[in-house]
Amino acid sequence: MTYQLFQETLLNGSSMINKVIKNSNIIITFAPDNTDYRQFKIDIASGAQLTDANNNVMTSEQANTFLATLP
Amino acid sequence: MSLQQITANDLQTGSLENYMANQGGAFGFKNRIINGAMVFDQRDSGASVTITNTSSRTYTIDRWSSYGTQASKFSVQQNAGAVTPPTGFTNYLGAVSASAYSVTSGDIFNINQNIEGYNFADLAWGTSSAKPVTLSFVVYSSLTGTFGGAITNSNNTRCYPFSYTISATNTWTTVSVTIPGDTTGTWGTGNGTGIAVSFSLGMGSTYTGSGNAWTGSTILAPTGSVSVVGTSAATFYITGVQLEKGTVATPFEYRDYGRELMMCQRYYTKLDGTNNGLWWQAYSASGQNFAFNITNPVTMRTQPTGAVYGTWTVTNCGQPNLGGQSTTQTSIYVTATSSATTAFYSSSTSGITLSAEL
Repeated sequence: MTYQLFQETLLNGSSMINKVIKNSNIIITFAPDNTDYRQFKIDIASGAQLTDANNNVMTSEQANTFLATLP
Repeated sequence: MSLQQITANDLQTGSLENYMANQGGAFGFKNRIINGAMVFDQRDSGASVTITNTSSRTYTIDRWSSYGTQASKFSVQQNAGAVTPPTGFTNYLGAVSASAYSVTSGDIFNINQNIEGYNFADLAWGTSSAKPVTLSFVVYSSLTGTFGGAITNSNNTRCYPFSYTISATNTWTTVSVTIPGDTTGTWGTGNGTGIAVSFSLGMGSTYTGSGNAWTGSTILAPTGSVSVVGTSAATFYITGVQLEKGTVATPFEYRDYGRELMMCQRYYTKLDGTNNGLWWQAYSASGQNFAFNITNPVTMRTQPTGAVYGTWTVTNCGQPNLGGQSTTQTSIYVTATSSATTAFYSSSTSGITLSAEL
């Protein structure tokens, strides 16, 4: 499976990352009660590959640092 | 209460309701299982699904999931094998073993439904007021013997492995099991899992133990339970699953079709694009996102996972993407490729899915 961060650009020009795309087309919101979101965190912590919003592969350290910022 | 014993006084307002309540019975939402008659299969529309995912549960027939620690040892399908369902039912969940696999100690193969805490909180489990429940179902297998399953809390730190017997092959058999309320442990009462019901298709020794008693260990079936995955092409079919308050198995609660579908949609919704049911069109400047909003059919359990499926018909844009999902709303957008009229619409093979499963 693949995970890519999704960067949303708001109308005021600011941007935020609040969801992740699994396998190119499944949109998982960062909602602690969402089973897929919990599985995403487990997968990344177990070494699954995460790419940033520009499709650059994040290192394991970068991915885990990002994980630590999530709800 | 027999008919001859009912008097006019018994029929005063509320008397029968109070009688039933005192017996542990219920009026309305008696059955805490959703889609216990296996009517809805939004994801697969009756197609067979081989359980390959060993890292998380695979959802098949609405509200039902399957799991195997080894890939491709069984498949699940609504009405697998096309046998005649038991009287009163038109559908069943069918599991079919793919091979003769000998389970090892750490193996788990089962079918499960997690019940939301909000739909279970009144049973007061984890307190001294815990109410008993009765699980009933109708089951059919090519194998005979003592089968197993379990009632558990969300993290399997409280388990009640139960056993039941199928004594005749390929015969629908009605089973009921009464489980005392658990006065200890942590049982969810919110929008997470409150209680889980599972039926074993094969369980390793790590997860088997004494049956029909509460334990703090993760025991998902009694020792010696039949292993369906242990016999090639073995079948296990089930329907009429009901979990109700009290110590008596009462007749299956048939809820109306629309209500049961809405109950399923709280956890999984398929926005069917048949007949161009999803169609947006507007003039948009080149490079601009062109977004629309959909109100979800029902309020979902939590912010769902969304996906756009199939190939949409598009004009002046690429395939649509989901912008975001809340429990009540979903947004979808495309990016215009030139300054012109932009349109995208669905078909019978394209649409949107939303999942908020437990």
